[in-house]
Amino acid sequence: MELLGYFLDALTPFNLMLALMGVILGTVIGALPGLSATMAVAVLVPFTFTMEPASGLIALGAIYTGAIYGGAFAAILVNTPGTPSAIATTFDGYPMARRGEGGLAITLANLASVFGGLVGAIALLLLAPPLAKVALVFGPPEYFWLAVFGLTLISALSVGNTLKGLIGACLGLMLSMVGVAVVGGDVRYTFDVQAFLGGIDITSALIGLYCVPVILDLVSTRAAHLKVNADVAKGGLRLREAMGIAWRSKFNVVRSSVIGTVVGILPGAGGSIAGLVSYTEARRSSKNSANFGKGEPDGVIATEAANNATVGGGFIPTLVLGIPGTPPDAIILGALLVQGIKIGPRLFNDEAQVVYTFIFGLLIATVLMLPTGLLIGRYAYKSVVSFPKSLLVPTVAFMTVVGSFAIHSNIQDTQMMFGLGVMAWVLNRYGFAPSPIVLGLVLGQIAEQGFVQSYLIGNATGNISGMFFGRPISIGIIFAAILTLGYPFFTEWRARKREVQPLTERAMDAEAHPANLQPKSATPGAPRGLDAGAILLAVVFAALGIMAYVATDAMSPMGAVFPATISVLLVVFSIGLVIFALLRKGSPSDKGDPAASTTRRILLTIIFGLWVFLIPVLGFFVAGLAAFGTMMVLAEHESRPAKTWLIRAITAVAVVAGFWWMMADVLLLRMPMGLFF
Amino acid sequence: MSIKKTLIATSLALMVAMPALAQSDFPTKPITYIIPFNAGGESDLSARFQQAEWKEHTGEDVIIQYQSGAGGAQAWSQLNSIPGDGYTIMGINLPHTVLQPMEGSVGYKTDELTPVNYFHYTPNAIFVTKDSEYKTLQDLIDYAKENPGAVTLAGSGAKSANNLGQLQFDELAGVKTTYIPFSGTGPSITAVLGSQTTAGFNYATSGANQGDAMRMLAVASEKRLPAFPDVPTFKELGLDIVGGAYRGVAVPDSASEEMRQKISDIVTEINQDPDFIKKMEDGGFVLTNIGYEQMPEFMKKMKAEYAKSAAALGIGN
Repeated sequence: MELLGYFLDALTPFNLMLALMGVILGTVIGALPGLSATMAVAVLVPFTFTMEPASGLIALGAIYTGAIYGGAFAAILVNTPGTPSAIATTFDGYPMARRGEGGLAITLANLASVFGGLVGAIALLLLAPPLAKVALVFGPPEYFWLAVFGLTLISALSVGNTLKGLIGACLGLMLSMVGVAVVGGDVRYTFDVQAFLGGIDITSALIGLYCVPVILDLVSTRAAHLKVNADVAKGGLRLREAMGIAWRSKFNVVRSSVIGTVVGILPGAGGSIAGLVSYTEARRSSKNSANFGKGEPDGVIATEAANNATVGGGFIPTLVLGIPGTPPDAIILGALLVQGIKIGPRLFNDEAQVVYTFIFGLLIATVLMLPTGLLIGRYAYKSVVSFPKSLLVPTVAFMTVVGSFAIHSNIQDTQMMFGLGVMAWVLNRYGFAPSPIVLGLVLGQIAEQGFVQSYLIGNATGNISGMFFGRPISIGIIFAAILTLGYPFFTEWRARKREVQPLTERAMDAEAHPANLQPKSATPGAPRGLDAGAILLAVVFAALGIMAYVATDAMSPMGAVFPATISVLLVVFSIGLVIFALLRKGSPSDKGDPAASTTRRILLTIIFGLWVFLIPVLGFFVAGLAAFGTMMVLAEHESRPAKTWLIRAITAVAVVAGFWWMMADVLLLRMPMGLFF
Repeated sequence: MSIKKTLIATSLALMVAMPALAQSDFPTKPITYIIPFNAGGESDLSARFQQAEWKEHTGEDVIIQYQSGAGGAQAWSQLNSIPGDGYTIMGINLPHTVLQPMEGSVGYKTDELTPVNYFHYTPNAIFVTKDSEYKTLQDLIDYAKENPGAVTLAGSGAKSANNLGQLQFDELAGVKTTYIPFSGTGPSITAVLGSQTTAGFNYATSGANQGDAMRMLAVASEKRLPAFPDVPTFKELGLDIVGGAYRGVAVPDSASEEMRQKISDIVTEINQDPDFIKKMEDGGFVLTNIGYEQMPEFMKKMKAEYAKSAAALGIGN
């Protein structure tokens, strides 16, 4: 049995060590928002030049799979996806952590990730050549409909608040159009600012939209960041309980892993889409769908199983077709070429030893993720829970700066992250949740490119409608999208018929998510006030939409079609919201926690703003240390003895210096130098 | 790599490198090489090929960093603010650095950048799947003539090297094709392989990765590529199309003449390394060896050529 021989090749002590180190390093890097698998893999490529090709690949694959899993930590503990793949993990992971079940969420994420990773890797081992064909049957129309399907999740994420969700999605879609368009090459919505030419980076936008509001809310109250009671009582990470939950959700685990593998095969989709699609499916098929978005374990399981399955799935087109499924795959492909290995359809025969040893290495690394992930997860959870607020606020803020900067070594990304974050906080205050914006931003480019490419091909072949509606896979995706959209209405109709409380009302009664951390202030049944803030915002959005529509005049027809459509939709939805709000329908804005300190919040915003704009002047280290210190004082609500402050000051220097060293000397990023360093 | 090959390569490299090292005290520490694109693309790959040989030739390592954004403009607009001591160099590409400034404000002008060596280019090439009914370029041209606009060609990006090549092809062959821009080489090759489009206008390098799943109908190089001896050039077929994306190395404008020459020499030296040549040629890259001395003339020629194409793309007016 040849395969067994390759398996033994993968089991050499050196390869095992590489797999272990890779998983650990990957998990840590993935856990830090903005530091991505791509970056970690790129840094390590030169080291693999001197290794055997299979060993080098194992190291790179292990880092990659570890990083995708690590992304769950930040998503669960601070509501910030460590990698875009973990977007949907925040939906339920963070509410779980808020109510004191962060340890359970991390363990579930670990189990799901390991299982998903194994499914993806086994598919790669046994079914790679036939599965690679999936990548080829997905053409532009399928990508377009897949993005539309992803957008249907908005209806689920904004139950009882659909108009605000749709407006958020339009805002996200508009944001995705900023910069130079891939199709048509138009320069759109940059306001002649050079920083906008490159578009809005998705990862830094994610960090801003999700994490900055958390920081602003953290600083304003005395209450602890996460409750811990439930976890402490049941003993830390609650492995046994998590296994029970995962076993009961076995269909969800398997379905999500399969979805992840298939989506992973599609070059141009990736882990974030896989997570969102399987989340949507898990929600639709769950009996507890009202609990999704409020801390439902199945939500975490679905996302994490799917995103780790994309690792194995993504290697399928990479190794079989020579087409990288994801950015880290592209780097690994390059590493193979530098080693002098010919990629392509014959790779599985010509270089069987390298390929199969690597696949077994990937499987071993995935299994190793179980113990290491639990250990690192336990440590990360403990640190976040036990860190005093006065250290947690600046550390998380520092991580947002590090992460948004690290992606392109570009400080303008950090400034954009901060701006979007403050905007997200304000919008969230008036009921516009960040998730629809994120969905629009992530799916916008895929939808637009798919749409315009389909239109161009359809036009050239004289069959536009056939292009969009006549292809079997497209029809299947359209059907799934209609099902997802219509299903809640159906269940509601059925529930009303049986005179039980309908889903929408149950969902609204459940504890609010995501950054609506404040307890519900309005007593149920109280008369609804006029939602003045939302009306004002809707008027602003309508005006924005009109301006955006006018601007399409100067674009090429190809580049104008998408922005024109979305801006019209934005205007329509905004006007609709104004009318509804005036009629006092729809849910009012949350007034927030009365105990929260607005002064601290504003001061923090000012410090944060000064920080991101002074980095180029003062240098990364000095600006970071100054901001860290100030935030530390600002986040402390009690008076503390000098000794405590001394310890905290030392911690501050250690955190800032540690990150600086890692970025400059380990990840080899270009650090901004100002007056100092 | 086998021990024997390593030995031969090292001794060869040493023979070439020793004289250069003896007369120069540069570099004495690792050089930082900024790639203005994401990792994994052709720019990254060719830099990685250089990296694998760099130490043998200079005695020091090279560290590759990425600073992607705005199709490279993000990094190029910052090139001249980097210290010109020669320890930081940057990848530079054509037609990007000529076309981008023509389109509007991108934070730099073509003449503000200082390329010191363009070491290779990836020639454009037309691809079809192996099962395609078009066996030769003439088959495709005949079909395109009968059905104006119906031939769809997938390529990487709008107003890119692929797009320029497709326009040139339309003009010289007297046909009208529809160019379908994709967000990179990967997605556009996927579209070709999946028969989503009639054919693809991509780089010849793709031919190396996809093996016999695709057929290259013609390549836009001066001579046939060593890796694809059976693929005719456009020139042989009577269409004067030579070009693609050129890649080189640039330095900040504060770098001294001496430093510019030294960097250029290092790149040229690696370009003559047999191991490097083999990997590049196997990959479908075409080495060019345009050093610092030839740069003014080369840039003049390329700018004139792109100015003509830019008019066809509707840029710069």
